[in-house]
Amino acid sequence: MILNGIITGLIMGGILSLPVLGVAVIYGITGIPNFAIGVIGVFGGFLTWYFLSFNMGLAILIGVTVCFLVGYILQRILLTPISERGGDSTLFFIITVSVGFVFEGFIRAFSPRPNISLALPRIGTINIAGFTVEGFKIFALIFAIGTLVIIRLAEEHTEVGKSWQATSQNLKLAKFVGIKTSQVFSFASGIGCALACVGAIFWGSLYNLTTSSGWDLGFLGFIVAVVGGIGNIWGGIISALIMGMVMSFSGYLLGGMWQSVILYFIVILVLIIAPKGILGSERSL
Amino acid sequence: MKDRYEQIGTVLILLLPLLFVLRGGYVQEVTGYVYLFLIQGYAAWFLFFKSGQPFFGYSVTMAIGAYGTIVLTIIYKWPLLASIFISAAMATMVGVLIFLATSRARGFYVSMASFLLAILFPNLIDALQPITGGRSGLYFSGITAIIGYEALYLLVIFLTAAITALFFWIMGTKAGKILTLISENDQLTQAVGINTLKYKIFAYTVAGFISGFGGALYVNYTGFISSVDIEVFTTLYIFFIPLIGGSRVFYGPILGALFVILMPELLVPVERYFRIFFGLIFILVIVLLPEGLAPNIQKLLGKMKPKHA
Repeated sequence: MILNGIITGLIMGGILSLPVLGVAVIYGITGIPNFAIGVIGVFGGFLTWYFLSFNMGLAILIGVTVCFLVGYILQRILLTPISERGGDSTLFFIITVSVGFVFEGFIRAFSPRPNISLALPRIGTINIAGFTVEGFKIFALIFAIGTLVIIRLAEEHTEVGKSWQATSQNLKLAKFVGIKTSQVFSFASGIGCALACVGAIFWGSLYNLTTSSGWDLGFLGFIVAVVGGIGNIWGGIISALIMGMVMSFSGYLLGGMWQSVILYFIVILVLIIAPKGILGSERSL
Repeated sequence: MKDRYEQIGTVLILLLPLLFVLRGGYVQEVTGYVYLFLIQGYAAWFLFFKSGQPFFGYSVTMAIGAYGTIVLTIIYKWPLLASIFISAAMATMVGVLIFLATSRARGFYVSMASFLLAILFPNLIDALQPITGGRSGLYFSGITAIIGYEALYLLVIFLTAAITALFFWIMGTKAGKILTLISENDQLTQAVGINTLKYKIFAYTVAGFISGFGGALYVNYTGFISSVDIEVFTTLYIFFIPLIGGSRVFYGPILGALFVILMPELLVPVERYFRIFFGLIFILVIVLLPEGLAPNIQKLLGKMKPKHA
């Protein structure tokens, strides 16, 4: 049972780390807490599901690209102008939740079904210490870790990544040396929403997606990011894995009803004891 | 003096439905519902907008008042009135405890802790299903069984007006003025030697109690509560009431409550697109009318007045 719990927890945490990564990228660079990210990701998940019968690759590409564009445009026309007018975290919280309402509305209005499951190929099974795990779950975990490594490498070794770092560390100086910071913000927001979409696709394939799943995924992604130290990518990933374990074991020991109660209770405790998260935040809310 | 007239006007407007008692029906039901949310809206207006305390757990304090009343009355057989007041006191304790526990943190972390509590609470209600009924909910006849629905409706109107008047009165006292200072500049208020902690606890105590009391009244009026009624969106709707209506004017939350509660009713013909319209309207109001509806309506009315030579 313990091994089962660990493996399930690792996989849940791995998938969860994708929206967490999205939150961390957006918040780390723009300084804006975007609570719509989960709903936008699930909107992309529903789009992917709709086109899945035509071609799997194309369907995923459509979902991820649309989410990237939504994130990009949202940042460009709404969030950056409000930020430049001096909007605070509370205002962004309200605005992004309202944006979430709009995208949840799109799912409710246009999806032919309120509850979907994405039928992606299963890639067989793998045996770990006598415990059989679906190959697709291992793929999801490796994909999440791979994405983290790629983002970290891109941040340190590419021009775009360096402009991200410069913008997040000193906005005024970044503007002074000619970095188009509003473009950097929009790009980061697009990447964040695209990551949330990939997370939603994995989630929808392993479990299922409902019209309101976006809020669960988004809030969960956000609180996991808070526990890790919001904006801190490594902290977010470690936190996602720990939270995945907590969800897995509390589900086994106390039943599914208590899973989220325990999870949110731990997060509130972390907020009380260490408000900047387990690895500290590079920015403060 | 202008403030005083505005306050009296606001309370009188709230008492208007007493003049034409409606004989049940849809309009009366919705009016009562608007008033019950207005109690929560004024609690948010007082705590968040007038005292500057970043609290988002209004659905939690409301739920504690509602569930506490039912559990104490039905399971523990306490007298109804005692159950209502004890539940409101429990809601106060939760609000104050969240504030004290997060007092080391600053700003948005406090908002997050209370907001997460608002997410956690419906899950807790579901997990405690044998006592709370979870998503299936609990039925409660409470005050209705004693005085009837019509009298309860009048009581809701009267109590909402009284609570609003209480908030206005508090804002005019020394404590209210210090809370305004705290909301404008917390550090400066501390620097001039004022014990801000004491006043913040006072603000949480008053708002928590009123919100819990409002929750108890809610369950008596609706006769039913389930975890669906206290979802995290309830806290957002409550918060939107003073925000959309306009927090700087005394009657702002009235417009906000009408907007937030009546908008879904008006959007029934396009129910399929309800959330899209709802979200877009919120974004437009917040971006284009950051002061809320009331000051802009005031400006518009000012422009429409005939100008004398």
